[in-house]
Amino acid sequence: MTPRTWATTALRVLPAAFLLCLALAGPWLAPHAIDAPVTAPYAEPGADAVLGGDQLGRDVLSRLLAGGRDLVLSSLLVAVLVTGGAAVLGTIGALRPRVGRLVEQLADVLMLLPAVLGILLVTLSWPDGGRFAVIAAAVALGVPYAVRLAAGAAAPVAASGYVEAAAAGGERLWYLVLREVLPNLRATLLALFGLRFVAAVYLVATAGFLQVGPQPPAADWALMIRENSSGILLNPWAVVAPSAAIGLLALSVNLAAAALAPQTGRKAVTVL
Amino acid sequence: MSPDTAAPAGPPPTTEGARPTRAPVLLPLARVGAVVLKRAVLLAMLLALVFLTVELLPGDAATATSERGESGADLQQRRELLGLDRPVLERFWDWMSGLPTGDLGTSARGEKVTDLLSTAFPNTLLLGGLALLLTAALSLALGCWAALRPGGRVDRAVSATATAVLALPEFVVAVALVLVLSLWTGWLPAVTLADADGTPGDWTMLILPALALTVPQVGWNVRIVRAALADEARAPHVETAVLDGLPPHRVLTHHVLPGALPTITAGLATSTGMLLGGAVVVETIFNYPGIGSVLASAVTDRDSPVIAGVTALAGAVITGVLLLADLVRDLTAGVRR
Repeated sequence: MTPRTWATTALRVLPAAFLLCLALAGPWLAPHAIDAPVTAPYAEPGADAVLGGDQLGRDVLSRLLAGGRDLVLSSLLVAVLVTGGAAVLGTIGALRPRVGRLVEQLADVLMLLPAVLGILLVTLSWPDGGRFAVIAAAVALGVPYAVRLAAGAAAPVAASGYVEAAAAGGERLWYLVLREVLPNLRATLLALFGLRFVAAVYLVATAGFLQVGPQPPAADWALMIRENSSGILLNPWAVVAPSAAIGLLALSVNLAAAALAPQTGRKAVTVL
Repeated sequence: MSPDTAAPAGPPPTTEGARPTRAPVLLPLARVGAVVLKRAVLLAMLLALVFLTVELLPGDAATATSERGESGADLQQRRELLGLDRPVLERFWDWMSGLPTGDLGTSARGEKVTDLLSTAFPNTLLLGGLALLLTAALSLALGCWAALRPGGRVDRAVSATATAVLALPEFVVAVALVLVLSLWTGWLPAVTLADADGTPGDWTMLILPALALTVPQVGWNVRIVRAALADEARAPHVETAVLDGLPPHRVLTHHVLPGALPTITAGLATSTGMLLGGAVVVETIFNYPGIGSVLASAVTDRDSPVIAGVTALAGAVITGVLLLADLVRDLTAGVRR
């Protein structure tokens, strides 16, 4: 493979960065209030509503602009927590084989639980949990997969001479994890973070679609698709626009994650 | 599951380019038993975890179905009716011991979870099985096609497309498919209409839901197939076959593919969980009569016993598929690993 230059990497990261900024700033750009009707229900695009109205006549464009921020922020939070948790657990597992086997066992068990069902289970058993429950469940379900990757990357570092020397010198476990091993995993962890962000967008959006995360009348892309799907023939934009937004977010973030991943980490095909 | 964790234990190198002869491997019964036992223990641990999740999180089935202005005595009565006043361990034992006999407990509305799922779950299995077959066929075909011209235009196009689609949520794919194949062209029905017996009315109604499930999974599996083939292609026996002047497609089917099979099977097996999870979402869009519709009403009722039942069934199916993948790996790789 030819060495990728900074320019091509930047070109692949740029769409994701642009879309993330747009999603974060969106609520301030919305021309109308997200919860007040401005047109007839499922009105076709017109002068006062560029993308038409939704099932209650609310402006689709405003709701589209407002509906991405929580999705992006939740996904970022999930990705940070999963990557951090997996990095620490994986490193401890590599340094202490007994803990490592335990973590592996737990990961094996959780692999039997489809992530979507896991999220439903947690959010429904946790009344009023809403978005918080979705984040908690997504973290709990994401860590087992991420731990394997982190442990795999930490194992050679943990077995290296200077870590063994530090351990023999009586350094404590936390010092070994935080100061000796983790700094050497930066590239892998960055790649892992990208992958986990992609997975988190998928999970948070799916939870929104299943109506266990944000509740109406919140503007949320996944919720918009669900709410407006019965009017797809009257005003397709009410469904197509949020679908395209989620699709583009997933694609561009994935592209960016692949571009940022180090060469060694790219061969590892990880499943969500 | 990454292709480099499952060691590709290919057939031994042969000096001639002929198909490597493998000693017929009869799996010792003890080995099969150990694999089955391990999977069964993992499943039991998952079921315990599912029960504890429902149990330990605040709120129970009685409060979830409570109506406004209901007195505490009413709640207490329903709690007794649902058996929620008994000790946790006792209910845990009841739930777990009921599972093997097909008793999945009682929903918050007092119906048997088994009755709720008896027609829905087979429908979901039909849809998921169809999607798994499609995924296997498509990702094998595309992966092999790409592998025949490594680094070529086809290879790069397949990899790029696979990476692009693997992150798409199923409901986004479904919306796109409905728009193009149903609303604009009118080729396929946009919703599934169920017959009187609760099965999908027409086979054409299975195509769109199955496709929506398949697309993201093909994204994952093509990458796994391609990576497994690339790993195996570096093995010495493949090099020998190439040097012997065998045509590329024969090298692929007789020398590369057999060695890559355990990894590919493991990848497909891990897709089962995502297919079942995705089915829940896709079924809601197409109004397909599967567990998705049962879960949708369970979501409105905040009915966690139903979700626990569905999760138990899904876990059992996934365990079965992973067990099959384990056995395939042992069969193709030999007993020594």
